[in-house]
Amino acid sequence: MKKSKLNKEEILHLAKLSNLTLTNDEIEKYRKQLEETVEYVENLNELDTRKVEPTSQTTNLTDVFFKDGVENKRGLSQNEAMKNAKNKKNDYFVVKRIM
Amino acid sequence: MFKPVIGLEIHAELKSKSKMFCQCSADYFGKKQNSNTCPVCLGLPGALPVPNKKAVEWAQLIGKALNCRLNRNSKFDRKHYFYPDLPKGYQISQYDEPLCSQGYVEINQKKFRIHRVHLEEDTGKLIHSGVDTLVDFNRSGVPLVEIVTEPDFDNAEDVKRFLEELHTIIRYLGVSDADMEKGSMRMEPNISLRAIENGEEKRQQFELPAYKVEVKNINSFRFVKQAIEYEIERQKEILERKETPAQETRGFDEKKQITYSQRSKEEAHDYRYFPEPDIPPMTFSREYPDSIKVPELPAQKMKRYMAEWKIKEQDALVLTRDINTADFFEMVISKCKVPSSKQIPNPNQSIANLIINKKIATTMPVEEFAAKAMELLQPKKTDEKALYILINQLIKTNPKVAEDYKKGKTNAVMFLVGQVMREMKGQADAKIVREQLENELKKR
Amino acid sequence: MDLLGKSLLELKQLVADKKISEKEINEYFLKRIKKYNPQLNAYLTVNENSAHLPLAVKDNFCTKGLKTTASSKVLDNFIPPYESTVTERLINNGFSVIGKTNMDAWAHGSSTETSDYGPTKNPWDTNRSPGGSSGGSAAAVSAYLTPAAIGSETAGSIRQPAAWSGVVGLKPTFGRVSRYGVIAMGSSFDCPGPLTTTVTDAAYLLGVIAGKDQFDATSSSIKAADYNQLLKNKNKYTIGISDDYFDGVDEQTINKIEKSIEILKKLGHKIKKITLIHPKYDISIYTILQRAEVSSNLSRYDGIRYGNERNEFGVEAKRRIMLGAYTLSYGYYDAYYKKAQKARTLIVNDMKKAFSEVDFIVAPTAPITALNLGEFEKYPFFGEVMDQLNEAAAVAGTPAINLPVGLDNNNLPVGMQIMGNYFEEEKILNLAYQFEKETDFFGVIKRGIDNYKD
Repeated sequence: MKKSKLNKEEILHLAKLSNLTLTNDEIEKYRKQLEETVEYVENLNELDTRKVEPTSQTTNLTDVFFKDGVENKRGLSQNEAMKNAKNKKNDYFVVKRIM
Repeated sequence: MFKPVIGLEIHAELKSKSKMFCQCSADYFGKKQNSNTCPVCLGLPGALPVPNKKAVEWAQLIGKALNCRLNRNSKFDRKHYFYPDLPKGYQISQYDEPLCSQGYVEINQKKFRIHRVHLEEDTGKLIHSGVDTLVDFNRSGVPLVEIVTEPDFDNAEDVKRFLEELHTIIRYLGVSDADMEKGSMRMEPNISLRAIENGEEKRQQFELPAYKVEVKNINSFRFVKQAIEYEIERQKEILERKETPAQETRGFDEKKQITYSQRSKEEAHDYRYFPEPDIPPMTFSREYPDSIKVPELPAQKMKRYMAEWKIKEQDALVLTRDINTADFFEMVISKCKVPSSKQIPNPNQSIANLIINKKIATTMPVEEFAAKAMELLQPKKTDEKALYILINQLIKTNPKVAEDYKKGKTNAVMFLVGQVMREMKGQADAKIVREQLENELKKR
Repeated sequence: MDLLGKSLLELKQLVADKKISEKEINEYFLKRIKKYNPQLNAYLTVNENSAHLPLAVKDNFCTKGLKTTASSKVLDNFIPPYESTVTERLINNGFSVIGKTNMDAWAHGSSTETSDYGPTKNPWDTNRSPGGSSGGSAAAVSAYLTPAAIGSETAGSIRQPAAWSGVVGLKPTFGRVSRYGVIAMGSSFDCPGPLTTTVTDAAYLLGVIAGKDQFDATSSSIKAADYNQLLKNKNKYTIGISDDYFDGVDEQTINKIEKSIEILKKLGHKIKKITLIHPKYDISIYTILQRAEVSSNLSRYDGIRYGNERNEFGVEAKRRIMLGAYTLSYGYYDAYYKKAQKARTLIVNDMKKAFSEVDFIVAPTAPITALNLGEFEKYPFFGEVMDQLNEAAAVAGTPAINLPVGLDNNNLPVGMQIMGNYFEEEKILNLAYQFEKETDFFGVIKRGIDNYKD
């Protein structure tokens, strides 16, 4: 793990990846807090994980599937699907034109 | 000098009954907008994916048909980016453990390597209208197989043939309509040029150019070819100016037949993949790949038609391009009992001709087609007496031909054969007609 | 009839015996909610139409037709068109949701202060936090604004508020209870579970909500036990104690736990010293993995299909999203995410090893009793340290329960946790029941309820 000091550009990059808009104050605040957290978690370097496989999930389950074509018990009507949307038009969801 | 380096990404929607991670219908075509969703494919808070077994099997079937290794361990990963047609802000895809890897497709003794075949989910559809972009999620979550080739192509023609072969194979497997008009098969070539000096490649063979241009979502083989050809010229010009083309994603304008810049990729490239925590990993036994049965593929079928039924290579190719044509042909063959004769030395080839030349409409039921074919291919009974009279009559009325024949212009007889056949309205065997004609001419 | 303090199963029996109607029970609790919720802010939404035996449910469970916000303005007016598996099972078993309880927004926190709808107050001292993130559920049970509640835990979010509010709180094995319809926080950690006034109620509710769900691929197919049936066994166990879990823990809390351990000894259980990987590493593992999952899980909130735009996210959510994006981003994945996944394996193995030697690990649930509102800001990671004793079981995915073991000098509840092996909830519940029978939780639960008279 490398010791990393986060700079403003990195914070802006992360904000862009996360689709968040930050104020200047927020940028500085998050920069500091991220740095603090990143420093704390450096303690994992004290653990020897060289011969260890990663754990993504603790259930030990494998191969969980559903059978193609089984009854759809959860289908939503057009109305149910659209009900919570703020911007809609002719039963489409609407965003500002993107292209 | 520059040598093109071209790789391909192909997406094919599977025609399973259900979507990839929920039980909504995968057949979204023509449905009312946003009427084919559930909490899962609409990305509602709290909804969880469960994978469709059939989609996994079909992706593996495609992999096996493309000579891939089916991996013993595989898993799904989340691929993150924001776009209005992507409901969860991530696409469930596969990153470092795809279902299948390292295959190839052979065309005309050339091998094109397949890097990987993996499974993911399709997005919703966007419609741009005025100041709005409208979103329909009916397609969201339809199983999508992504096939990635190695950058093994150096010309657009090979790419086109590869894609045609791949399209045929996928249709043979019956797992996707691969209908490009409907967008159920989409192709993305990535193109770059490598400098060559004095016939030697400047960089080592395995080293790829420092940039890559991806052309997105093309839906016809012809357009792929045009896009590649355009890109090769465009990049050549830039490189000749001693500049490097930008690493970017471009679109293809079908009308102008040019590519255009869509977005530069540096920022968007960070997909932050990580293992999908909602789906346990997949494991497959050593024996499992044997249980995936690949049907006879077009290349094998073609070989068999040539070997078993002595069909001409070009015809065998034509017959096997479409699984429906091939099936039709084989069914007709099984129903047509025509003995080979002097007149029809290879009835199979004759049937092939009937289908290829559309002598009989291939839209009719197999039985009907077979009956008509039998009638056409029956050896002709020749009325010997009528033939004798006709031949003598024609020789008399065409003394010039008889003379030419005697002078050794043996081909002159063909004119008379044609006349006889026309007079007899085809009710004679051309070989017999010629024999008889020559006999009579020799007598003079 | 005096209903105050009746357990869920007692109320169920009264209804079965036709001594009282479900309508009367609902009226009783709705009246109490009306009276006390303004000062406690335990409920965000109250369901006046509740018709069957009432339960409070944390506001991160999707309830069809009933507003569900996860305490975030992003979901200010979200009315789910579908029912979570947990609430569906409760409804199918004759319960109804009387209200949705306050929580830390998106379950990010240990105080219920990150709620966009104001903090829930600790019923024992309304200047204090009830703990979190299931603080609304814990407070509602503690002040008897519901006979029992459903919460969810990612790392401590059931146990810690149960400890601070003085109630029973069970975090099941990961995969024991379906997550379908629960607004995801850390997908590989999230566990729904009950908060109750008795061990019997907890066992009963677990029985109702546990078991395989076809809509949650990570739900276990191991059959749920008949938890209530097994409660009354008088089994003797070996209980492990790790000194590291008493490191930096408040003196009064330690005293209460030690006293409780003595009682367990008296009941015939063996105590054995064990060593575990130090909880300071659990914090790091948990922080990295959970933030990564959070940043991913919160990506769907784009304001297009439902809810408001992403600028409505609060400070804590944004902070977690940013850190998660960082640890997953190009060039850092191996150093942070992959490393934490590997360290997670060490914790899993450590817990397995421990449970090969002992039946349980007993420890304090939280290092201190309830903090004053606003005090959390002083602690790093906004109070992640409050959960550090809960994180081993969260990282390993093993079950644990909080039991009240007394009050400190400030009259604030102290909690003790019993951690058990994978899918051994029935054993945990059995020991907890033995403890309850012996101590009646030193009267803590009763006293809490008595503070809120009818």
